[in-house]
Amino acid sequence: MTVGQSVNRKEGRDKVTGAAKYVDDYHFQDIWYGKTVRSTVAHAQITGIEFLAGFDWSTVVLADYRDITSRNIVALIYDDQPLLAESLVRHVYEPILLIAAPTKELAELAAKHVHITYKKLPAVLTIEDSLSAEQKIFGDDNVFKSYTVTRGNVEDAFQSAEVVVEETYHVGHQEQLYIETNGIIATAKSDGTILIQGSMQCPYYVHRAIKELFGLPDEKVVVVQNVTGGGFGGKEEFPSVVAGHAALLAKKCGHPVKIVYERGEDFVASTKRHPAVIRHRTGLTRDGRLIAAEIDLTFDGGAYCTLSPVVLSRGVIHALGPYKCPNIRVTGKVVATNTPPNGAFRGFGVPQACFASEMHMENISRKLDISPVELRRKNMLHQGDYTLTGQQLTYSVGTQQVLDAVLERSDYLARRSHKQPELSNKRYGIGLSFYYHGGGFTGSGEEKIKGQAAVELTAEGTVRILTASTEIGQGTRTIFSQIVAQELGLRPEDVEFEENDTSKVPDSGPTVASRTCMVVGRVVQMAAASLKEEMAKRIASLAQCQASEIQFEGRHLLWQKDGEIISVSFAEAAERCMSRTGFLKTTAQYSSPPGIKWDDVTYSGDAYPVYAYAADVVEVEVDMDTFEVKILKVTTATDVGKAINPTLAEGQIEGGTVQALGYGLFEEVAWKDGKILNNRLTNYIIPTSLDIPDMETVLIENPYPYGPYGAKGIGELPMDGGAPALVAAIADAVGAVVTEIPATPERIMEAMEKLAVEA
Amino acid sequence: MAIKIVVNGQDLEVSVSPMKRLLDVLRQDCYLTGTKEGCGEGECGACSVLVDGEVINSCLVPVCQVEGSEIVTVEGLAENGKLVPVQEAFIKYGAAQCGICIPGMLMAAQALLDSKELSKQTPTRYEIREAIAGNLCRCTGYMKIVDAIEAAALSTLEKK
Amino acid sequence: MNKFEYVNASSVKSATEQLQSDGSVRIKAGGIDILDELKERTINPKRLVNIKTVGGLKEIKEVKDSLHIGTLVTLSELASNKQVKTLFPALAEAALGAATPQIRNVATIGGNICQRPRCWYYRSEEFSCLKKGGNECHAHLGDNRFHAIFGNDKCAMVHPSATAVALVALQAKLKIEDTKGHRIVEIDNFFVKPEENAKAENILKPTEIITEVILAKPAVGSRNFYIKLKEKQSFDWPMADVAVAMEMAGGVCKAARVVLGAAAPVPWRAVAVEKALVGKKVDASVAEEVSRLAIEGAKPMSHNGYKLKVFETIVARALSVVASGDFSSKEGF
Repeated sequence: MTVGQSVNRKEGRDKVTGAAKYVDDYHFQDIWYGKTVRSTVAHAQITGIEFLAGFDWSTVVLADYRDITSRNIVALIYDDQPLLAESLVRHVYEPILLIAAPTKELAELAAKHVHITYKKLPAVLTIEDSLSAEQKIFGDDNVFKSYTVTRGNVEDAFQSAEVVVEETYHVGHQEQLYIETNGIIATAKSDGTILIQGSMQCPYYVHRAIKELFGLPDEKVVVVQNVTGGGFGGKEEFPSVVAGHAALLAKKCGHPVKIVYERGEDFVASTKRHPAVIRHRTGLTRDGRLIAAEIDLTFDGGAYCTLSPVVLSRGVIHALGPYKCPNIRVTGKVVATNTPPNGAFRGFGVPQACFASEMHMENISRKLDISPVELRRKNMLHQGDYTLTGQQLTYSVGTQQVLDAVLERSDYLARRSHKQPELSNKRYGIGLSFYYHGGGFTGSGEEKIKGQAAVELTAEGTVRILTASTEIGQGTRTIFSQIVAQELGLRPEDVEFEENDTSKVPDSGPTVASRTCMVVGRVVQMAAASLKEEMAKRIASLAQCQASEIQFEGRHLLWQKDGEIISVSFAEAAERCMSRTGFLKTTAQYSSPPGIKWDDVTYSGDAYPVYAYAADVVEVEVDMDTFEVKILKVTTATDVGKAINPTLAEGQIEGGTVQALGYGLFEEVAWKDGKILNNRLTNYIIPTSLDIPDMETVLIENPYPYGPYGAKGIGELPMDGGAPALVAAIADAVGAVVTEIPATPERIMEAMEKLAVEA
Repeated sequence: MAIKIVVNGQDLEVSVSPMKRLLDVLRQDCYLTGTKEGCGEGECGACSVLVDGEVINSCLVPVCQVEGSEIVTVEGLAENGKLVPVQEAFIKYGAAQCGICIPGMLMAAQALLDSKELSKQTPTRYEIREAIAGNLCRCTGYMKIVDAIEAAALSTLEKK
Repeated sequence: MNKFEYVNASSVKSATEQLQSDGSVRIKAGGIDILDELKERTINPKRLVNIKTVGGLKEIKEVKDSLHIGTLVTLSELASNKQVKTLFPALAEAALGAATPQIRNVATIGGNICQRPRCWYYRSEEFSCLKKGGNECHAHLGDNRFHAIFGNDKCAMVHPSATAVALVALQAKLKIEDTKGHRIVEIDNFFVKPEENAKAENILKPTEIITEVILAKPAVGSRNFYIKLKEKQSFDWPMADVAVAMEMAGGVCKAARVVLGAAAPVPWRAVAVEKALVGKKVDASVAEEVSRLAIEGAKPMSHNGYKLKVFETIVARALSVVASGDFSSKEGF
């Protein structure tokens, strides 16, 4: 049994010896370096580009939008974002001009000798300004996309509510901050093929973007993923921009072109988590049952649409949290501003929605004087209940288990009532969050993508997986090899991978949306099952037995003949299976579980095939004079369906939780005039080893019948609940609820002052 | 300018600008790309290497600063392909995810394991956290890294 | 990086002989700041003089009643030196709390007190400010949460050096050398307010080198301590810090120095607190009472009002620690 075991990471040895090659570790003899010249204003007409004297311009190659042979777009949803600005810039840092040079230093020096002049236009820099639509920067109302989901009769239900609780919550930008910055090498071959390699989550996204840019057929664009130093969504759609720039320069200068951003540039150029303003109005019975809810979410999309409609959609669907409320209306819109476009980031709209909904539960619990635990128990979803989109949950609903587990493991009830002795100026607080996250694409998304994967026998008699799902640290290669090994009676080390190259592997869909294990892992399992069936069939015909009698165990194929057990090694069987055809490869394609129904127009039905559930308890100590917050302990319980590899699953949960705690406590982008002030690791603060205490991670296995061995997607889930549990703990310590994150000393002080005024 | 350094036990003479960052000399002139750049200003620690036994950020140090010094990079940890305890532990405990911070993290960990104090007792988990506080990791949440270093410290002490 | 000449100096004399008044020759000690400036092209020297090769600048030595700290002593050496820890815990704490283990192993005391500001407008290429020859300080109209609450009328940067805060409290002297010889400068006279010169943070001339930091051993009954508040738990530039040095006799304060860091463009002496302490038997309640004077004359800006309470608090705590002599506040989970 290899599934369920914490086998070592497949590429672990390469990563601890320095042998793993990331994009910046590749060097070619004739390589040139690319540099991007960006807008310094938020909204303006470009009136001129001057190439200053004092630089020998014959030593470099320049490219602008006129060099794009087909469509000047970063192909995604609306195709509204140009790869390079033409006459108008819509945000600071928008790319305008590209420079290639034989050295990085020369390209940078050239960039310093470019002077761009602008005629400034009024800029829309905040959600409020955008909503007022005084200055129109997208359509008539600055709204990229809006959704409304309604169930029951909201107005009537509010009439009968005994208590109404209303509050508005704010969250800001968050930077993914993968430690490896974005980087791409592009090569334009003499036959017109464009070769891209680099750091990315979704090779086929880049493939499509490059095809659109140059009007090329599938086979003329080859995209290869290199070892990737973290993504977290930040390398979902954004690498298409870097790849487009590098490809354009490579075509023009005739050399391979490398663009690897320095940290400061990566920070300002790449997408971030959407800031949001979320208003909750909730009607309840006096004893704390939800009967009516109105939730309004507004996301700041930035200057271009990117993936914003999809991010908002996920936020809307998760807006209530894992609770039942018969009468509910959720409205959501994502608006345009003259700030850098926001995009994918682990959680994808849910961390914003979850912060608001869980802090609202905290507020309700205070207002009604009901314990946070009782409030959750009264309203939580159970098997058979309906979500806000009208989806009935019929399997793998771990709500009660995760709540019970986290309370027990953290000793929440005792610790909340018997608080530690208080030092004069320090107060202890304990906070709870309870949340869920849908696995895979929303609604009919997976049906449209039809993710594929294949497995094949190798000449050495082992097995190779062919998939476009990328290894970005989350463990794709390790868990896929466990799944295939399990199916075929092999060891994970007997399973290898085809290079993640669009000319070699099928499109498994993007490596996003908590879908790699649950969706693509299932497809890989199906492909392995087909391979097994085919091998059994071929061996059975040679051995003159029934295919169904052949067992795959211990790296052997076994069957009985005349009361004797016959055994052939897997390698030998593989060789025999390929003796006539020379190869054996099976491909599988995803299909939704039976009975899944989704209506894109009314936004109702089965939003996701299954949800993963979790609960967090965070304990803090708050200095009542300086409002410094020290996190003392973090406990999480997660219903993962099945942990294919428990160590890797814990790693996902711990890492995601720490990102969430950073979101709640320090991570904030500071702005002035549409420019980012803290684009460095010295002033954009992410948690260090000293900010985070030891964590307890409880895995609960509540199998999902259509996932590989029962596994559900958990990549994003841990990003959702950390911030609200932390802020609830602060509220428990100081007595006031902070409604805007990060919960800086300044905001904690303000919340306490506000509470004092109200009292 | 010719500068002599010892890298992973090998005497080298590199002909570079004296103010070239040690990081660039290692990656470009010594072809040792295991050492990574994460921020270029000493905040993330991905470029950490040992210089005469002390852990430093190679992105902040001009090569002339380490003239004549002994430098150890991640490539110099294992001997003839045999991993040192901290490398073994990082694999076993799942301390590496995306892996980009790991070369630097391992050097900070090794500096702790090599420190004199460790000849008597293993470091506490808090001391381990202090030792890697200059190394940012965005993937793991540090738990499994601390677990791995703790285990490596124990096995190192047992060998001593 | 442009081409420049690189020279190893064998003595302080040979180093200073090469320095030029136009700033075209620069000294390189630990190399951290100078590498940064070369990379960002904020300087363009003709020649770089390496003083790492100069003997004697890396030592901490006792001379009569003083401790002489060579300019090349690293922060980690300072933080772990027994004499520094015993006599000047304020300095040891400030050095230990600065930056990361990696940086402390390289950064020198001389370089640390001469650090350029961390102000995000100063550091951003997109803003031209007073320090860079521009005509405004953007902190006044922009996000100024980390900026000065004292002496901020012109430029609102805060001085970035934590060790400088401790050294001002400890009344350090700096030995500064040039070709003509050396001078000893009281650290109180070393730092420069923006009103005097917006482009520099101290009086050091391009032809001079700091070679030693000199600390007189504290009198019997004297104690000193340093506390900082930081944004994250790990080593970082402080959001607010304070160093206190107090001379006491029979529990009564005879003289005190209370210096605030991250409060003003220079390490900022809370003179009102210093005066109020004299003649008092300092305990926790006196500490709290006089700490309110720490923010006398403060002019908080739009986003940094929280610093007022923070300074009161850390001043009170530092005074209590110094008064009680209990320095054992070790961090831990």
